[in-house]
Amino acid sequence: MTTLKRFQYLILATGLTLTSCSSDDDATQNLTGENNLTIEFDNSVNGDDLLLDSSTYTNSNSEVLTINRFNYIVSNFVLIDTEGNEFTYPKDDSYFIISEEADLSEVTLTNIPAGDYVAVRFGLGVDQEKYLQGAEGQGDLLQLAEETDMMWSWLAGYKFLNFEGSFTSPTVTEATDFKIHMGSHGSSLDNYKELTLELPTNALVSSNLSPIVHLAVDANQILDGNTKILLSEKAVVMVDEVKSPQIATNAAAMFRVDHVHNGENLEH
Amino acid sequence: MKYSIKIALSMVVLSLIFACSKSDDTDYFALDENLEVSIPANFPEMQYDISRNPPTKNGFELGKKLFYDGKLSSNGFISCGFCHEQRFAFTHHGHQFSHGIDDLEGIRNAPAVQNMAFQSQFSWDGGTSHLDLFPIIPITNEVEMGETISNVLKKLQADSEYQRLFASAFEDGSVNNENFFKALSQFMVMMISSNSKYDKYVRNEPGGEFLELEEEGLRVFEAKCASCHKTDLFTDSAFRNNGLPPYPGINDLGRTEVSGSTTDHYKFKVPSLRNVAVTAPYMHDGRFGSLASVLNFYNSGVQDSETLDPILKQNGRLGIALSTKEQEALIAFLQTLTDSEFLNDERFAEY
Repeated sequence: MTTLKRFQYLILATGLTLTSCSSDDDATQNLTGENNLTIEFDNSVNGDDLLLDSSTYTNSNSEVLTINRFNYIVSNFVLIDTEGNEFTYPKDDSYFIISEEADLSEVTLTNIPAGDYVAVRFGLGVDQEKYLQGAEGQGDLLQLAEETDMMWSWLAGYKFLNFEGSFTSPTVTEATDFKIHMGSHGSSLDNYKELTLELPTNALVSSNLSPIVHLAVDANQILDGNTKILLSEKAVVMVDEVKSPQIATNAAAMFRVDHVHNGENLEH
Repeated sequence: MKYSIKIALSMVVLSLIFACSKSDDTDYFALDENLEVSIPANFPEMQYDISRNPPTKNGFELGKKLFYDGKLSSNGFISCGFCHEQRFAFTHHGHQFSHGIDDLEGIRNAPAVQNMAFQSQFSWDGGTSHLDLFPIIPITNEVEMGETISNVLKKLQADSEYQRLFASAFEDGSVNNENFFKALSQFMVMMISSNSKYDKYVRNEPGGEFLELEEEGLRVFEAKCASCHKTDLFTDSAFRNNGLPPYPGINDLGRTEVSGSTTDHYKFKVPSLRNVAVTAPYMHDGRFGSLASVLNFYNSGVQDSETLDPILKQNGRLGIALSTKEQEALIAFLQTLTDSEFLNDERFAEY
């Protein structure tokens, strides 16, 4: 027998073993291998499409906003399966900037082990651990942040949220610029927030299944969420001991899973 | 036969060429070695984690070249060393405020660069807690170096000398922000000032004999200054309002810029006093030209406010009572903190 033939037999035998294995197991364990899981961040404002520099949005504070920037950092992704097992995406690769103006709206997590995932957990912003890694931990995030106006220069760090535009209100009748920059305040205030989202449909990952989790992100929550933030009171909020943590909590509530696409080689 | 000789010959030539370039490279790489970072016996614990970025000969040299390179600024002229001159313990002598590109002027006095590895808060307001990330602040500040990190890296990536130096200093060898910041940190981590007369005095080393006046000054210092200027680093790394009246026309809120807290109004990091005799002018805004003026201020110029440090408001008196004699002794003592070995150390010198 030639070596080549032997090799062919080996492949055949392996194939048979794999097939026979999976056919004995139940549906979940059928999922083998690894694949991508994509999370789509679809930005909106209280149910309307978020359009930069065009639409106006009226919130329950009677303030009318035109938005010209909506960028944020999402990080530290963890996938949770039906058994409650957690798969933590490698930390160094787990920081992403979502930017409406730069058309960055997708997070593609690669080499996700096959599984039946019921929830996803992630952070809004950058955790203290990452800061304290110094040069080693920042990788390309630093440059990407600089390019997308998410570097907070005088704090040698990151804006977790950069939300800008102009507004009018019953008391501010001339269109006035607003800037909401939220991040951690050096060593004095940590505004990084983590949140867990349950998936309405399980996301199935296997060698031939690469799901897309479609999130609806409601920018209205930033000012009109749990705590009402009035631009007429303060239109530029950067480091504010009271308002910044409120904005962080509001913003962490802007994410909702709209739907999950399961399937083969999906393109959204 | 003829043919094979030709081949053999060309192989010899080829191997010579390869041997040349190869031995050049290996020589260069072989030269890199870890630098010893010795912690002075009288110092507190090191804050910088050198296991994550152990200084090496080549990393240090690269960091030094970067420190003195104007490429780090937008106009190509303002290096770190422009405002941080070695003779003055890496401060900007004769300049009240930091100068930057296009003759622009900042609102704060350039602090000393020394013993950085032992500190955990950087810049007057503590904008960052990590030495590696600190250079972002002056590089991107519009009135200092006015540049972006991405642009600095583009310039360095296009420079063959830097390509070679990065390759010789780091395992992955690429000209990227991680290695850029690591090299700068390696240079700064090595900048340890610990051989002043005072150091020799506390370590009982030759050259550490104090004069009577210096000893008296040390006693006054311990009684009246050391609660903030703590340890042999002479700072407790805290942010405090020392009662300086706000500078006319500049309402620098200090720590509030970072924390957003009104309780931090006018608080600045307690500076180290090492080499203080050569780092005039003094205070975060460089308003005082001499140590005598600083002591006069603590004795009689402290202004009350909501955030004034309670230490400076005791027994119904503002500031620190210092007699003329005590002031004289204090100045004599402060002069023992000058470390001329550090100020003249060729390892850190620009030229």
